[in-house]
Amino acid sequence: MKSTSLSDRCIDLFSYTVLTAMALATLLPFANVLSKSVSEEWAVVSGKVGIFPIGFQLDTMQYVITSSQFVRSFAVSAGITAVGTLLSILLTAISAYPLSKRHLPGVGAILVLYIFTMMFNGGIIPNYLLIRSLGLINSLWSLILPVMISVFNLLVIKSYFESLPEALEDSAKMDGARTFTILFRIILPLSGPVIATIALFYAVYFWNDFFNPMLYISDPSLKPLQLYLRDIVMDADSSSAITKSVDDMMNVSGEGVRAATVIASTVPIVLVYPFLQKYFIKGVLIGSVKG
Amino acid sequence: METTTANVKQQPAHPDFAAKSESKWKLIVKNYEMYVLLLPGLVFLLLFKYTPMYGILIAFQDFNIFDGISGSKWVGLEQFRKLVYSDEFVQVFINTLLISLYKIVLLFPIPIIVALLLNEVKRMLFKRTVQTIIYLPHFLSWVIISGLFINILSPSGGLVNQILQWIGLDPVSFLLDNRYFRSVVVFTAGWKEVGWNAIIFIAAIAGIEQEQYEAAAIDGAGRLKQMWHITLPGILPTIVLVFILRIGHLLDAGTEQILTMYNPVVYQTGDVIGTYVYRVGLGKMDYSFSTAVGLFNSVVGFLLIILGNTLSRKLLKRSIW
Repeated sequence: MKSTSLSDRCIDLFSYTVLTAMALATLLPFANVLSKSVSEEWAVVSGKVGIFPIGFQLDTMQYVITSSQFVRSFAVSAGITAVGTLLSILLTAISAYPLSKRHLPGVGAILVLYIFTMMFNGGIIPNYLLIRSLGLINSLWSLILPVMISVFNLLVIKSYFESLPEALEDSAKMDGARTFTILFRIILPLSGPVIATIALFYAVYFWNDFFNPMLYISDPSLKPLQLYLRDIVMDADSSSAITKSVDDMMNVSGEGVRAATVIASTVPIVLVYPFLQKYFIKGVLIGSVKG
Repeated sequence: METTTANVKQQPAHPDFAAKSESKWKLIVKNYEMYVLLLPGLVFLLLFKYTPMYGILIAFQDFNIFDGISGSKWVGLEQFRKLVYSDEFVQVFINTLLISLYKIVLLFPIPIIVALLLNEVKRMLFKRTVQTIIYLPHFLSWVIISGLFINILSPSGGLVNQILQWIGLDPVSFLLDNRYFRSVVVFTAGWKEVGWNAIIFIAAIAGIEQEQYEAAAIDGAGRLKQMWHITLPGILPTIVLVFILRIGHLLDAGTEQILTMYNPVVYQTGDVIGTYVYRVGLGKMDYSFSTAVGLFNSVVGFLLIILGNTLSRKLLKRSIW
């Protein structure tokens, strides 16, 4: 029994139109920058490139992804993301587990200590001075250690642990299993989806972080990708050093290089994104319903 | 943990208390492994979260990096006096409030509308495709998004200016013009997060019982009426909750975003508290003053969150913690 009243058809038309427009508006900037990165140099310089490329060349892209600084920064970011995500997941999970046992003395108070840091923090300068006095300036650890636990993620995992049936742990205890065994052999393997979601959030954070590197990293050989990208993107003056040397060297334009660098830095996320989608939707549900 | 046993021995006059502490102590000993698991997190918390709070003291000093906190001169509220009388700070504060309010007024309703519209779409393939596309920008860094828009808004050959010229208008330097900068900030923030922010409302809509729609349909309610009388009231608590949370971040106008977009030409309209603290603190090495600005920011933010949570508890009988 399909109702096809006029107002219903209007709703359909409106929904499909608006949503299609939104999706196109989201894709448009990507299309434009992608086109710029593969268009002929003269077309980019004269500002003629719109949604579709004019001509086709991969010199610019090749120049960007083979530049030694790009490769180095890419490797630095990949390393920070891998190590940071692993350590964060481990630390968050082992902290969330005892926190899910509210009957234990002191656990509630420690939880308050965590939650307080969501609402109040020292601010940029005291953080900077701490990192400085720890001797972590120009060390990649400055990008990992201070952000290892996100309290939001901790709360999501904690509430997931709380939702697991207690009988599981009780029977394991009767078989003589101790806390560590229960956590690593029973609880964590049962927490696949939530761990995957949180891993995704941490990984995206580490990959995208540019604020901390901007504060703590000045050594060019340690610059993560986002910081390198920022140098290029914010370097809007096309006569400046980076882009000028490019112009002289090859038939690629500074603007084309900027476009290609943006695209090359976007590709890793776009590639893994479809595989992660089912996890983050699940994760948001867990986070929003219980968080 | 030792103090607990000490208390027990000192207070034999309260047997109940002693017994309770005794069992507490036993509980701790029995579960000592749980406390071992808590330790690394506690070290992290104390070192990287609470130590910087101690560093806030320099807001009340004339801090000198060579003398440290213990050696620097105390100046009381001098830095805050400077802050209140600084025209620059007042402008930064106004910028922060304006950008943040524009973002709330203009961008808050859109995710709700998107969720409602997506709910009306019955073709799953279309629905999933739209969702996949509009969530994507959330996962990209501000550097990349700013890179995209600096490209598109460029006065020399940017897509938007091509269109402006095509319809006979003069090109505009959006990112170098105080008249347009805030609009660009609000628009790009919407472009990045509006799709993602719809997720929570989509989840809330999914939680509404289907029987309500069936009953309404039998009573002759069209889809517009169903949307108005079932879907919207159904997600109202979520809307209020998200709104209250948003208010808690009123002074956070998007530091990372603006840092990747602005330049000295638009400081007048674009400099917000977060970027100002960075600029004055690390750029001009005025540690004490910018810590005072940061502390002002933290305190107001903290009060707003407390206020929001109290409101939420009163209005929704549900609190965030």
